[in-house]
Amino acid sequence: MPAVLTVDPRSGVPIYLQIVEQIKRSVALGVLQNGEQLPTVKQLALDLTVNPNTVARAYRDLEREQVIETSPGRGSFVRDGGPAESPRVAAEIGADALDVALREAKSVGLGRSEVRGLFETALARWFGDNEAITE
Amino acid sequence: MSSITISNLRKIYGRSAAVDGLSLEIPGATVFGLLGPNGAGKTTTFKCMLGLARPTSGEIRYDGKILTPSMFERIAYVPERSVLYDWMTVEEHVEMNRRAFASFSSARAFELLATFNVEKHKRARALSKGMRTAVMVALAFAQDAEILVLDEPTGGLDPINQRHVLSLMINEAAKGRSIIFSSHQIGQVERAAEQIAVIDRGRVVLQGLVDDLKGDRKIVEGIFPDTAYTLDGIASDARVARVDRTERIVRILVTAGADEIAARLSASGAMGVRILDLNLEDIFLYSVSPGTATADIVAKGSSS
Repeated sequence: MPAVLTVDPRSGVPIYLQIVEQIKRSVALGVLQNGEQLPTVKQLALDLTVNPNTVARAYRDLEREQVIETSPGRGSFVRDGGPAESPRVAAEIGADALDVALREAKSVGLGRSEVRGLFETALARWFGDNEAITE
Repeated sequence: MSSITISNLRKIYGRSAAVDGLSLEIPGATVFGLLGPNGAGKTTTFKCMLGLARPTSGEIRYDGKILTPSMFERIAYVPERSVLYDWMTVEEHVEMNRRAFASFSSARAFELLATFNVEKHKRARALSKGMRTAVMVALAFAQDAEILVLDEPTGGLDPINQRHVLSLMINEAAKGRSIIFSSHQIGQVERAAEQIAVIDRGRVVLQGLVDDLKGDRKIVEGIFPDTAYTLDGIASDARVARVDRTERIVRILVTAGADEIAARLSASGAMGVRILDLNLEDIFLYSVSPGTATADIVAKGSSS
């Protein structure tokens, strides 16, 4: 688990957010599975060489977002609420990334139809051309 | 637990004030980083906290209590310049500290010295600057103190040993101990500290959680189609700390509400509006007065 997590303290992105985002990503990719135990706050703080309270803050955020759950005395675990958590978390990550891209497109003055055109092109590049496949 | 309250501290040496009305609330059970340009008053503040310098006015309280000699045991200190006796061996320094502090563990001290690769039979005068720092750090952490005051605790250390020191600090914080440290290596403060204060000319100019400062302080940048533009009152917004204009480009330092300021900038006709993150070094340089920040010296030099 610590092997998939790294933080860049020199980045302008708060460290606790970097931890939140990476754990979400690990859940989305199934690197962390339902019910899997996370390292203790102290252990992760020492592994990453960051402040324990910063890790605790990340865990609190993940709990609030219902990605993990903590039971006193036992530790923190990836939430195990029936269906796999990964599709939901993956959708959130995708939505966040699209948000960033659309904001940038809007800020340079592109309109709705231009953005839609670009989106279709990009979609075809990454997901294959639907029309070509049906032919 | 072990919170420290510094109220209106002043320390005057001769005719100049090294610390000039400094107030600071340092919470317990965490790592607190003190940043500031050279001569800002960090070391003097530490000395007043430890009773090594008598404040001209103001006071310092530990959990609400004024420092008394009976509390020295609970506070460990690594001074900026190591205080070791040249003719004594490292081992003898360990023995001296064992006699001075009831809670001091010689075994722990030797364990830490081994981590730093310090040979215990060496005399202090044979140690490099980094090794002297390592000895001071080992002695401080072996004291099992509730509060650790560390003035440049990585001075002269190689990157591996610097990391050892940060890990020790994190380990103590996880045990509920309070660590206050200063470092000119902002990257270390950014890593290990939960909260920071920036001191400039003897006063606190900025304080907060590192992650909150990074989350709130942003540069909002926009480009106008021509130079005839107005900012529609954005500059007078309380959250706008600074506005830099270079022809058609506007960069606004905000202390909060970056999204809203960005929207207002777009509404006033700016294109390509974006929000830029700041790291702790940027935040530090923006917070100290222009005369002391290198970035401004370089910026002024290059624009003239």
